[in-house]
Amino acid sequence: MTERFDAIVVGMGSSGGIIAEQLTAAGLRVLGLEKGPDYTQEDFLIKQDELRYYQRGAIVAGVDVDPVTWRANEGETARVLPWSAGELGSDEPLYGLPSIGTGGGTLHWGAAAYRFREADFRMRSAIAERFGKGALPDGSLADWPISYADLEPYYEKVEREQGISGRAADNPFGPPREHEYPMPPVTQGPGDVPFTAAAERLGLHPFRQPVAINSVEYRGRPACVNCGFCHGYPCHVNAKSTTQVTSVPAAKATGNLDLRPLSRVLRVHRTNDGSRVTGVTYVDGSGTAHEVHSDLVVLAAYALENVRLLLVSGINRDGQVGQNFMTHNFGWFTSVLPEPTNPFLGTFNASSAVDDYTSELVPDNDLGVLWGSPIISVTGDLQPIEAYHLMNPKVPKWGLSLKHWLRDNYLHLHRMYSQTTNFPHPRHYCDLDPDVKDRWGQPALRITHDWEPHDANAVTLMGHYKETIAREMGAKDYWMDEPRPPYHLSTHDVGVHRMGEDPAASVTNVYGEVHECRGLYAIGGGQFVSYGGYNPNQTVQALAYLSAEHLLEQA
Amino acid sequence: MEYPLLFLNRAEAAVLDALVEEILPGEEGSPGASEAGVVEYIDRSLAGFLRELQPVYRAGLAALRELGDGVTFTDLDGQARQEIVATLAESPDFAGRFFRIVREHTIQGFLGDPAYGGNRDLVGWKLVGFPGAQWGYSAEQMRPGTDAREIPMLSIKDLYARIGDER
Repeated sequence: MTERFDAIVVGMGSSGGIIAEQLTAAGLRVLGLEKGPDYTQEDFLIKQDELRYYQRGAIVAGVDVDPVTWRANEGETARVLPWSAGELGSDEPLYGLPSIGTGGGTLHWGAAAYRFREADFRMRSAIAERFGKGALPDGSLADWPISYADLEPYYEKVEREQGISGRAADNPFGPPREHEYPMPPVTQGPGDVPFTAAAERLGLHPFRQPVAINSVEYRGRPACVNCGFCHGYPCHVNAKSTTQVTSVPAAKATGNLDLRPLSRVLRVHRTNDGSRVTGVTYVDGSGTAHEVHSDLVVLAAYALENVRLLLVSGINRDGQVGQNFMTHNFGWFTSVLPEPTNPFLGTFNASSAVDDYTSELVPDNDLGVLWGSPIISVTGDLQPIEAYHLMNPKVPKWGLSLKHWLRDNYLHLHRMYSQTTNFPHPRHYCDLDPDVKDRWGQPALRITHDWEPHDANAVTLMGHYKETIAREMGAKDYWMDEPRPPYHLSTHDVGVHRMGEDPAASVTNVYGEVHECRGLYAIGGGQFVSYGGYNPNQTVQALAYLSAEHLLEQA
Repeated sequence: MEYPLLFLNRAEAAVLDALVEEILPGEEGSPGASEAGVVEYIDRSLAGFLRELQPVYRAGLAALRELGDGVTFTDLDGQARQEIVATLAESPDFAGRFFRIVREHTIQGFLGDPAYGGNRDLVGWKLVGFPGAQWGYSAEQMRPGTDAREIPMLSIKDLYARIGDER
C-alpha cells in the first residue's frame, strides 16, 4: 500500500518539531520520522546520573551508530572521530552529534538562547568596512541573504513560543528588539557572582544569559529546580525548553501528526528528472524498509545528517552540498576561585556573559583577529567526573596528588568559554566517506577541517580577556585549552547546506528549499552563511518559523 | 571477594585492585579506590557497557606483570608500585594507554553513582563535596556561602525511593 502525506518531516528535533507543529496546526497531514525514541517524561524522571548521560552519552546516537569521520586535510585518511571513538572516547560525548529522539538536540542542550547580532548577518561587509577589503579572509565568506531585521519577528516568536528567560535591558550591546524576554533570568549560580563583580570592576558589561529554561512557571511548564544535571542531560521537570515538551506535543494534539519513532530515513526520492521530490524510504525499528510519498519533504535531521541524506540520495548538482563547514572552538578556561563556587548547583548557563568583545566589537589587536566572541561564565552543571576532565594538565594525575586536587578544588572551580570559529573556505567541507559505513550500509559523513591560524589566534585573543577576568576574580590557579583543540565537531556545526540566491554558491533558498529539487527542504544550522560567537539554536528555530510560514503560504 | 565477579578472575581482580589503589590511594579516615569498590565497578562494566575493552584489560594486566619483571604487581612493595605507575602515566606505549584507561575507569567508579557498583558508602562524593543525585536545589542554596558538605547526599536509589509514593 502506498502511503501519501501532505508533508514528511525528517527529524522531530529543534526545527523539525516546529515545522510539524506549524503545518499540523494548519490542517496538513504530516508524517514525522524520527530515528530516535519518542521519549516521555517517565524516561527522564530520574536522570541525575553522570555516568549514564554525560560519560556514556545515553541520549546521543554516538559514533557506533552514526559514524562520522574526520581528517585535517585531503592528504590524510579520515578516521572515525578520534576524540570520540576508542577506549576513552566516551570522555566528551558532546564533541559529536547531538542527542536524538523527540526533541532532538534540544533534549541535551545547554539551552543558551542568543539571537545573532545585526553584524553577524553581514560579516563580510562589516569586516571590509572595519579592516579594509584587503583584510577579508580567503574563501567563501559572504553576507546572509537576510538581515537581522528580517529575522527579528521570528526570534521574538521563538522566545515567546518556546519560552526563553533573560533580561535584554542589561546588555548595552544587544541587538535591537521589540520586547523583553517573556521570563526573567533563571536563579544565578554562586560562581557567577565573582565573575560579574570582576567584570564590572574591569569596566565590562555583564548581563544574565538568555536561556531556554523556565525561571517561573510558563505555559503550563514549571520553573527550573536548579538540579545541576542540565547540559548534556534531559530535564526531569519539563523546565528546559525542548520541542519534546513544546512543539511536538502541540503537533500531536492536532491529530494530524503521524509520528514514527525509531524510523531512520535512508533515501530521498525524486521524479526521474530530479526536479521534484516524491518521498523517502525509511527503515523502522524492526529493520523493515518502507517507502512513503509526499510532494513536500523537510529534512530537519541536523546540518551534518541533512548533508549525508542529500549526498546518499545523489542530490548535489552544483557541488555545494557539504561545503562551507563551520564549527565552534570553545577555548575552555578553568579557574580555581578562593571562595566556594559550588559548581554542582543549577544549570550550566545560570550565569552571565559579556558582549564587550563580541563579533564586530572585537578590539583592535595585533593577532589579526577579525571577529570576536562573547566571554561566557559557566557556574553550574559540573559533576565530579567532568571536573576531573577539566584538571590542570600540570598536576600529576595519580596518587595523592590526584586525590588531593579533587578534594581541594572541586568546590572552587569556575569556567569561562568563548565561541570562535573558522571562516567558510573550500578547505573545510564534508562529503561521504569512501570506506566507513553505518550498520544500515549508508556511508559515514566525512569532515575535512583543521583550525586555521586565524582560528587559533582568536582563541588566544579571547584567552587574554579571560585571563584578565580570572586575575580580577582573584583566581588561585587557572589554565586553558590549546588554541587548536583536538575536536573538530561541537554539536554547533553549521553552514554545510548554505542558503542563498545563487545555486552556484548555495544549496537552498532563504526558506530552505533545495535549489535543484522543488518541494525538498533542508533546514537548520546547515543554512547559516557565516558564524559568529553565539550558540546556534535560537537562529535555527527562528529560521524554522520563517520556513513554516513560507510553506503554509505555498500550501 | 565480597561481590561476585562477572568478567575478571580473582587474580586479575586482585592486581587491578592494587593498581587502582595507587591511582586513588586510601589514607587515614579517607578511603581510596579499593575501599570504594572501583574494581567491582570495572568488572561489572567490562561484563556489560565496556565489553569491547575485555581484551584490552586482559592484555594490559599481562603487560603490567612484564613491567614488574615478571613479579605480580601485588607482590611488589609500595615504592616499586609507585615507580611503575609514574612510568605508566607518561608512557606512550600500550601499557601507558592501558593505564590511562584504568585511570578513567577508576575515576568513574570512584565518583559515579553507587548504582554502578563503585563509590561505596558515597566515599568519592564525600571526598570532593558533591551532594549527588538531587531532585533540585532551593534559591537559598544557590546563594554564595552555602556549605556543600552540609547538604545530605542522595543517590539515584534514594531518588527512586522518594518519588515512589508520589506517582
